[in-house]
Amino acid sequence: MGLFRVQARAFEPTYPLLQGAEIAVGWYRLDGRVAVKPNPWLPYLLLGPAGIFVLVFFVYPFLQVFFLAFQDSAGQWSLENFRVMVDDFNFAPSLINTLMLCFAVVPVQICLALVMAMMISRVDRGRDTLLYIWTIPLGISDLAAGIIWLSILEQSGFFNSLLGYAGLIDQPLNWLNYQNPVALFFAVVVAEIWRATAIVLVILVAGVGLIPKEYNEAAEVFGAGTWRRFFTITLPLLRPSLQSALILRTLLAFEVFAVVLILGGIDLPVLMGESFKWQFEYRDAGVAATYAVVILGISIAFTLLFLWALRVPEEAQG
Amino acid sequence: MKRVGGSSAMAWLFGASLVILCLWVLLPLYLLMVNSVSTPDQIHGWPKRLWPEISFDTILFFWNFQGVAQAMFNSIVTAVITLLLSILLGTPAGYGLARFRFRGKNLFRIMVLMTRAFPLPLLALPLAVVYLQIGLDDTLIGVALVHTMLALPFTVLVTFSLFLGIPRELEEVAWTMGCTRWEAFRKVVLPLAAPGIAASAVFAFVVSWNEVFAAAILTVNNQTLTAFLVQSLDESPVHLKFAGGLVLVLPALVFIFAVRKYMFSLWGIASR
Amino acid sequence: MTGISVAGIQKRFGAYQALTSVSLEVRDSEFTVLLGPSGCGKSTLLRIIAGLEYADGGTIDIGQRRVNDLPPRLRRIAMVFQNYAVFPHMTIYDNVAFGLRTRKTPEAEVRTRVMRMAELMDIGAQLSKYSAQLSGGQRQRVAVARALVVEPEVLLMDEPLSNLDALLRLQMRAELKSLLQEFNTTTIYVTHDQVEAMSLADRIAVMNGGHIEQYGSPMQIYSRPATRFVGGFIGNPPMNFLLDDHHSYSRQVGLERPGKAHSLGIRPEDIQVYREMATQCWPVKVGVVECLGPMQQFTAELDHQMLRVTADPDLALHSGETLYLRPDPAKVCWYDGEGRMLPV
Repeated sequence: MGLFRVQARAFEPTYPLLQGAEIAVGWYRLDGRVAVKPNPWLPYLLLGPAGIFVLVFFVYPFLQVFFLAFQDSAGQWSLENFRVMVDDFNFAPSLINTLMLCFAVVPVQICLALVMAMMISRVDRGRDTLLYIWTIPLGISDLAAGIIWLSILEQSGFFNSLLGYAGLIDQPLNWLNYQNPVALFFAVVVAEIWRATAIVLVILVAGVGLIPKEYNEAAEVFGAGTWRRFFTITLPLLRPSLQSALILRTLLAFEVFAVVLILGGIDLPVLMGESFKWQFEYRDAGVAATYAVVILGISIAFTLLFLWALRVPEEAQG
Repeated sequence: MKRVGGSSAMAWLFGASLVILCLWVLLPLYLLMVNSVSTPDQIHGWPKRLWPEISFDTILFFWNFQGVAQAMFNSIVTAVITLLLSILLGTPAGYGLARFRFRGKNLFRIMVLMTRAFPLPLLALPLAVVYLQIGLDDTLIGVALVHTMLALPFTVLVTFSLFLGIPRELEEVAWTMGCTRWEAFRKVVLPLAAPGIAASAVFAFVVSWNEVFAAAILTVNNQTLTAFLVQSLDESPVHLKFAGGLVLVLPALVFIFAVRKYMFSLWGIASR
Repeated sequence: MTGISVAGIQKRFGAYQALTSVSLEVRDSEFTVLLGPSGCGKSTLLRIIAGLEYADGGTIDIGQRRVNDLPPRLRRIAMVFQNYAVFPHMTIYDNVAFGLRTRKTPEAEVRTRVMRMAELMDIGAQLSKYSAQLSGGQRQRVAVARALVVEPEVLLMDEPLSNLDALLRLQMRAELKSLLQEFNTTTIYVTHDQVEAMSLADRIAVMNGGHIEQYGSPMQIYSRPATRFVGGFIGNPPMNFLLDDHHSYSRQVGLERPGKAHSLGIRPEDIQVYREMATQCWPVKVGVVECLGPMQQFTAELDHQMLRVTADPDLALHSGETLYLRPDPAKVCWYDGEGRMLPV
C-alpha cells in the first residue's frame, strides 16, 4: 500500500545520522511518524465510512425498492404489484389527496414565508427572538403537529369551544371525519402550513441575507418605491432560494403521513399512509414498495419541473 | 424598527401582524400544554376553558400507560445511537471535504446532495425486508441506522462549512510547532469546531426523536415513542395522545433554542 | 550552523507549473527575502521549505539534514503567517507556550522562556488576553514571539507585515530587523513589497514566473539588475529601458556597448538633466511633470520611447519644452534580446 511505502521512504537509511540525532536531542518527537508527502489515501479514509454508509443505506435500498416493486413474490419480473395497487379502491383517492394537499399547502407556505422574511428584514430590535419563535415548528415532528391540531380541532377541542362561547353552535361538531371531507382536508392543510412554513422561512431569510444592500439602495436612489423594489430587485434575486425552497417543500409535501394519520386516519388516504398500511397491516412489502416508487416518481417529476421552470439563465448568474 | 411605512398607522399594522404571526406559532403549542395539564375529564368535556387548572393526572396516566416508559427509553437510545453514528461518520467526511482535493470529491458531494431530493423514510421499506434476513428486524440499532441516513447529509454539509471557516493556517502553524496532523486537529481545530459539531449532534438527535414512518415500519415490539403513538392510535384514549405530543414537542423547543446560531448553516446551506 | 540549501525544486498544481527548477543557498544566520509579484511562486517555495507543500522534484537541506520527506514538525523550523494564525481559543500565554509544550518542555522552563519572550516583544500585558482582544500589530508580535520562543534553526515568514497599516508596518519593520539581528536566526522572508525587502534583507531572491531571476545583495539587485524584469520590478519608478539595437542612442552619448546589446537600462536618478544643448546628450521633449517634495519626476520622450527621469526640485520644468539628458556611463546596464544583462 502506498501509505507504508511512503512512511518507509521518510526514514530510509540514506541519512543514518538523522534518527540517532532526533532521539538524542529529544526535542522533536519521533512517535506517530508520518511522511510529509500528502498521504493520497487520507481523504478516502476520512470520507470512506460515510461513503460506504450512504451506499449501503441509500443507494442499495433505493435500488431494492425497484426490485420489490417490479418483482412478484417468486422473484420474477412482473407488474403484479402495480395491478394490485391500482385496483385497490384507496389508490386513486390517496394519489389525488396527496397532490391536492401539496397544491393547497405549498403555495400558501411560500407566500407566507416570503411575507415573514420581508417583515424580518425590516426588524432590527428583537430580530433574534422573532426568528426563534417563528422557527420553533422546525423542531416539531409531523406527528406532534398532528396531535397539536387534534387538540384544537377534535370534537371537544378548543375550536369548537370557541364557537360555543361565541354562541355559534349548541353542541360540538365533528370536523374530522368522512362526513365532513372538506373540513378534514382543510384541517390537514392548516396543520401542515403551521408545521412546515418555518423551513421555507429559513431558506428565504438566508437568501435575503445574500442580496447586497447596495442594489436596494441604488433602486431607492432612482426613486423606486417599496413595492417596485420588492418586485424588481428582491424577488428576482431571491429566485435561487425560492427554487430550492419550492423543491424541498414539494418533496416533503409528498411525504405527508403522520399529520394525516392523526387528524384523518382512514378517512383521508394519502400515498405514504397507504404504503405504511400495506407494509405494516397487510404485510405486503411488494405493494408498499410500489407506492414508494409512485412517490419517488412524482418527486423526481416535480423536481425536474421546478428546475426547468425556475432556471436562472447561465449569463444572469452573479 | 426602521423605515416602516410612512405613517404611524402603518407601523401599528406592521407591529400587529408581527404579533399575530407569533401567536399563530405559539397559541397551538400553548393549547396542547393546556390539554396536557388538564384532567382527562376536562379534556373530554365541552366547552373547554382556555386556561387550565393545573393537574398532572393526564401526564401520570401517560407515564403509567403500558409501554410508554419503554418507548420513551427506546426513543432516547435510538436518538443517541443516531447522534453518535452521524457525528462519527459525518465529521471526518466534512473535514475531508473541507481540507483535501482528491479524485471523486465531486461525486461524493453530489451523492450527499442527492439524498436530499429523495423521500428518505421510504428506504425503510426495502430495509425492513433486509433486516428480517440479517436479524436486525425490530431492533433499535436498525431504526437508528435509517435515522443516521436521514441526519448524515446534514452532518457532512454542516461540518464541511464549519471546517471551511477555520483557517488552514491555524493547523499549519501547529504542524510547524511540533504537532502531528492528528495533534493539530485535536488541539486547534476541534476546540474551535466543537460548538458547531454539538449543534449538528443535537440536530441528529432531534431528527431521530421526531421520525415516524421508518420507526413505525421497522419496529413491532421495540417501539420508539413515535412508533408507539402511531401504532396504538386506534386503541389509545385521546388524552394519551396529548401528553405524548407534549413529550415529543419539549425537546424540540430546547433544540431550536440550542442551535439557533447554526440555524442558517443547518437549513440554509444544507437545502441548496 | 544552519544554512538552507534548496536544489532543483519543481512544483506543479494541476496544469499550472508553479515552480520550475528553483535552487537557492541561504547561509547560516543570513536573512534572505523572496521578492516577486503575486503568483510568482515565492510563497509556494517557502511552504515547500516549511514542509507544508510537497515538491514534485528537487532536494531541500536544512543544516546538514535532507528534509525532503520530513513533516514540518521535524524540520526544526518556525513559521509566521500573513494572517498571524494566532489560536483564537487560547490565551496569548498559551499561544506562545504552544510550541514549547508540544516538545515536552518542563512547565517551569516554559514559563521563564515565555516571560522573557513576552518582555522582548512587549506583549507582557496581553498574556492573559485572547486573540480577538488584540490589535493587528499586537497579534503580529504574538506570532513572532510564538515562532522565536522555540529557538528554531530556521525562521520562515510569509508576508508577515502586509496585513498591517502603513505606519505600523514601518515601525514593525524596524523592530523586526533589530530583533532578528539579535537572534541571529537563519531567516527566509516572503514579501511583494520591494522597500521591505531592500531594508530587511542580507540577500534578495527576485522571483518571477516560478523561477529566481536574480539572487544577490539589495545593492547588487538595485544597481545591476540581472534581467530586465528585475530592473523593471525594483525601484520606484523602475529602471528605464531604451531600445538600442542600431547603436544610435549609445553612440549619441558616447557609450561603449557590448556586441549583442539590444537595449540599455538606466535608473531615473542616474540621468543628468541639462537645460542647454550640450555635447553627448539626448534631446528630449518633457511630458508629465510630478513634484514629489524632495525631488521631481518627469517623463521624457525620445523618438517615441519614454524615459522617466528624476530631477532637482528647484529646476523649473514645463510640459512640452525640450531638455537634454546624459546618462551616467558607470550606471548604465546592457541587456540582450532575451532581457539578460550583458557584462561590460
